[in-house]
Amino acid sequence: MNTVRLRLALLRNAPVALFVVVLAVFGSLSDRFLDVQNFTNILIQASHIAILGIGMTFVLLTAGIDLSVGAVMYLSVALLGIYLADASPILAVPAMMAVGALFGLVNAFFVVRLRVAAFIVTLATLFIGRGLALWVTETRMVFYKDQILSLARAEFLGVPWAIWVFAIVFAVAWIVLNHTPFGRQVYAVGENPDAAAKAGINVPLVLTTVYAVSGACAGIAGFVSITQVGAAASSFAMEKEFAAVAASVLGGVSLFGGRGGVAGTVFGAVLIQTVQNGLVIVNADPYIYPLVTSSIIFVAVFVDSQRSRILERLGRRRIRIEERPV
Amino acid sequence: MKLTRRQFTLATLMAAGTAGLPVYVKAQGKKTIAVLFDGLYSPFWVAGLDVIKQDLTKRGYEMVQAISDKDDNRQFEQVRAMLARKVDGIIIVQTDSNAVIPAIKAANDARVPMVHFNRPPAKTDAFSVAVVADNRSITNATVEHMVKVAKEKGGKYKAAILIGNLGDPNAIGRRDGFFDVVDKNKDIIDVVARIPTEWNADVAFAGLTNAFQANPDINFLFTSSDFLFPQIVQVLKTRNKFQPIGHKDHIIFGGFDGDAMAYELLKDKYLDADGVQDLFKEAELAVNAIVDLQEGKTVERVLLDPGFAIHQANLEQARDRMWGYSIYKQKNG
Repeated sequence: MNTVRLRLALLRNAPVALFVVVLAVFGSLSDRFLDVQNFTNILIQASHIAILGIGMTFVLLTAGIDLSVGAVMYLSVALLGIYLADASPILAVPAMMAVGALFGLVNAFFVVRLRVAAFIVTLATLFIGRGLALWVTETRMVFYKDQILSLARAEFLGVPWAIWVFAIVFAVAWIVLNHTPFGRQVYAVGENPDAAAKAGINVPLVLTTVYAVSGACAGIAGFVSITQVGAAASSFAMEKEFAAVAASVLGGVSLFGGRGGVAGTVFGAVLIQTVQNGLVIVNADPYIYPLVTSSIIFVAVFVDSQRSRILERLGRRRIRIEERPV
Repeated sequence: MKLTRRQFTLATLMAAGTAGLPVYVKAQGKKTIAVLFDGLYSPFWVAGLDVIKQDLTKRGYEMVQAISDKDDNRQFEQVRAMLARKVDGIIIVQTDSNAVIPAIKAANDARVPMVHFNRPPAKTDAFSVAVVADNRSITNATVEHMVKVAKEKGGKYKAAILIGNLGDPNAIGRRDGFFDVVDKNKDIIDVVARIPTEWNADVAFAGLTNAFQANPDINFLFTSSDFLFPQIVQVLKTRNKFQPIGHKDHIIFGGFDGDAMAYELLKDKYLDADGVQDLFKEAELAVNAIVDLQEGKTVERVLLDPGFAIHQANLEQARDRMWGYSIYKQKNG
């Protein structure tokens, strides 16, 4: 039994150990990798994926999935570039969150009211969202004005603007999930929706809210991303939904709901970005990028699955059958 | 007047034939060409589709179009649907050079000619025609000009290249064209960053930021596509390195495609050189090929667009051949 617990302790800390190994390897290959400025770069570059992943975490915790987040990112930045080109960021961010939340509510309507599988609904809205964005932009690249683009260089208290947004979204999500009744309800619904309903939780309301949160986070992620990349081509945010799911799963969020948290998701997003960053810093051969990145994701997910297996085994009831006296 | 059964049958057949004549005439006059793109991810593809559409309309063809969104299976289904619809020819931009081969074979079986626009297929026995830019030699010319500028300025250079999708033959041609030249000039140019972008803007942004983190003194930069200019400009501005030619912090900067932003950057003296794909010529070659194939004429399997390099020294003379300049003129009058 002790061996199992020891293995569990090792596996529990394995993602952190993996992160340390990544830092040590790249740090030994380049002295610039362990620079503070480089960690700032990693956080900036991971910020939009982390924000997207935070929204995705809410949905995954309820055993759902939201494949439309990349499309929502593109649609919201397309609408910003075309209809709110002169808007200040103070207006633009809530507007983009509203677009995202609205999309999330559409997803929720089909998932909650019509009981269509989340995978199917959000796959459909992925295409609808991209289609709408392509229609609005006429597939042309959308450029942004300087009041948006200058945010890429803006800082507050010496910390870049993107990191502030990322930190605020993370803090709010963490507090909501860990210190509010709603957060507990999200976990309860993900663990067992029938039991949650019997306990008096308004399951449809919880599910509707998580999809709206996911959409709103996609709107914010779109804004953060566009301040950095400066223009939205029709490939903007393409396949970001997979990056968000990867970050969440890498951070220990279960695809079956009820387990994980936003801290893990942020960790996952930062780990992926750290690997990408390290490969460029050491001027690695471009052909090995996908091999290295996918190997690290595989190891992390494998470790997580082992941990889940052991946890499940530990959680099983042990019934000892007494031998009858003959 | 009394009609016999024989007269009635003949009259009916003649009436039916006459009524069907306009449809037949229309079918003869309005041949249909399917134009299948994998996506409209950059101004090059948007402009390419527009030019092909205009050319086909001018020649009296009807055009049906479909976008596969980088999905090989979907594109194959689109090809099959177009063949079932009995189109007279297919102009295609495939995502993957190997995955398109079954589509070429299906078109061959249906005796429908197929022309690849700007992207060649992998080697195959199946017959199709590819219109391609000579990516390698256009990049050679562009980077040679950049090296010439570097030699004139003097000193040593640290170079970075933004590489496209490694599964795209065009991206590989451009990468090889870049290295053909810099490898011959290793005494002054050291390539310190090879950044794979997957033709993805935020990957390019992050990659270039990281490259500057590792080598803050990068002073020679080539991008395999002009559509990444907005991200490059953002990175350079963040590092205060977006400076015009003549400024002490100017980075020798080159690109590939010839889009409108490339023209603006050349005009404003931020860009040193740009490899231009002759989009108009490529579209014309593609439409000519499909028409010729349809008429049973022989067409070479590969039709090459030699393209050209535009730079500060030939900007005035060469800009009229640059498709991005036409777009710039339309936009800015």
